This record gives sequence, C-alpha cells and structure tokens, in this order.
Amino acid sequence: MVIIMDKKETLDAKGLMCPMPIVKLAKKMKEMKVGEVLELIADDVGSKEDVPAWCKRTGNELVSQKEEGGAFFFYIKKVQ
Amino acid sequence: MAETKKFAMVVAEGTFDKAMMAMMMGNTAASMGIETHIFYTFFGLNLLKKGAKPKMPGMMRFFTGMMIKKMKGIGLDGYQEQLEMAKELGIKIYACSTSMELMGIKKEDLIDGVTVLGAAAFLDIGTDADMQLFIG
Repeated sequence: MVIIMDKKETLDAKGLMCPMPIVKLAKKMKEMKVGEVLELIADDVGSKEDVPAWCKRTGNELVSQKEEGGAFFFYIKKVQ
Repeated sequence: MAETKKFAMVVAEGTFDKAMMAMMMGNTAASMGIETHIFYTFFGLNLLKKGAKPKMPGMMRFFTGMMIKKMKGIGLDGYQEQLEMAKELGIKIYACSTSMELMGIKKEDLIDGVTVLGAAAFLDIGTDADMQLFIG
C-alpha cells in the first residue's frame, strides 16, 4: 500500500463516461505544477485501462491506483 | 514522455453517431497529447456548418433527442460543445474543397478555424500520421 503524502488536488469524475474523465484529467493536469499529485476518482470501468494509457502516452507517472466501493482511484504525478 | 504521435481521421458521413464518434476519438487523442487532424468530406461536411445539429441516421433520427439526453446523463456534452472543445484542444479541422463545391457550401457557411483543402493536401498529412481512421 502506497501512502500518498503529497496529494495536491482531487478530480471527481464519477458519473462520467469515456472520454470525459480523460479529457477532464488532461485539462486539470495542465493547471498543475511538475511534481504535484492529482487524485482522480472515476467509476467508468473503461478508466481502469484508459488512465494508465493516458499516463504512458503523456509521460506522467501513475503512482498508484486502487478500487474501492465501485470506484477507481488514481494518483497521478505530473512529470511534465 | 513518448514521442509526439500524429492521428488523421476522415469523416464522410454527417449523421449524429458519426459526428460524435469523431469528436470523442479526436478529443481523447488531443487530450493524450496526440496531434490530431480531421478531414470532413461529402456529407461529413454538413457537420462543419455553423450551428449544425446532426440527427441519427434514417428512421432513428426521431430518437436523436433521446440519445442526446442519454449522453448528457453520462457527462457527455452535445455536438456543438464537443466541436468547441476540439478547437480548444488544438485539433486541426479541414473541409474538402470538392465537397464544398458539390454541395454548394461556402467558406462563410462553415464555422471559424476550418482550413479548406483538397485530397492531396490531406493525404500528405495522413501518410505522415501514425494512425488513420475513416468514419463513414
């Protein structure tokens, strides 16, 4: 279990289906500074694969992810 | 970071489903940092007209409103909002010059920010792209 110490902000994308969690994630990350960690919460099952793909593609770091109470939590660190 | 990839898409139909598919794919790609180009041709061109309100194909057109409502329910914006988002995300939008002539559509009938070009110019972009899709 990774404890997220430096979580800066939370983006709640529950109730949104693909591609909106990704579009909102991209927008939010643009506003954040390098090194900051965003907590993204989504309940679209597609996000389980989509968020890691987004991180890989954009070069940002997916620090950890978990599933809790039917929702997916992602901790994404802005690398660039 | 992975190198910048390029994505080229052709939209040849002007119905609601094709319009939304192109927007969802395009806006996701652009959100992933992929350079995205969309070429609208034949009936797809109607989607670039100012204030376009595409309908579902055939008899399903009567259910367009229902579909829009359903999409809103899962957080998806309507077509015009998505098109606006596409422009904000820097997606390059092209109109086929031959289709414009065929369908009697003038540049001023189209939304702002559209580049008018021919097949050769778009194919030049497309052959350079890492991924090509045809929505029709």
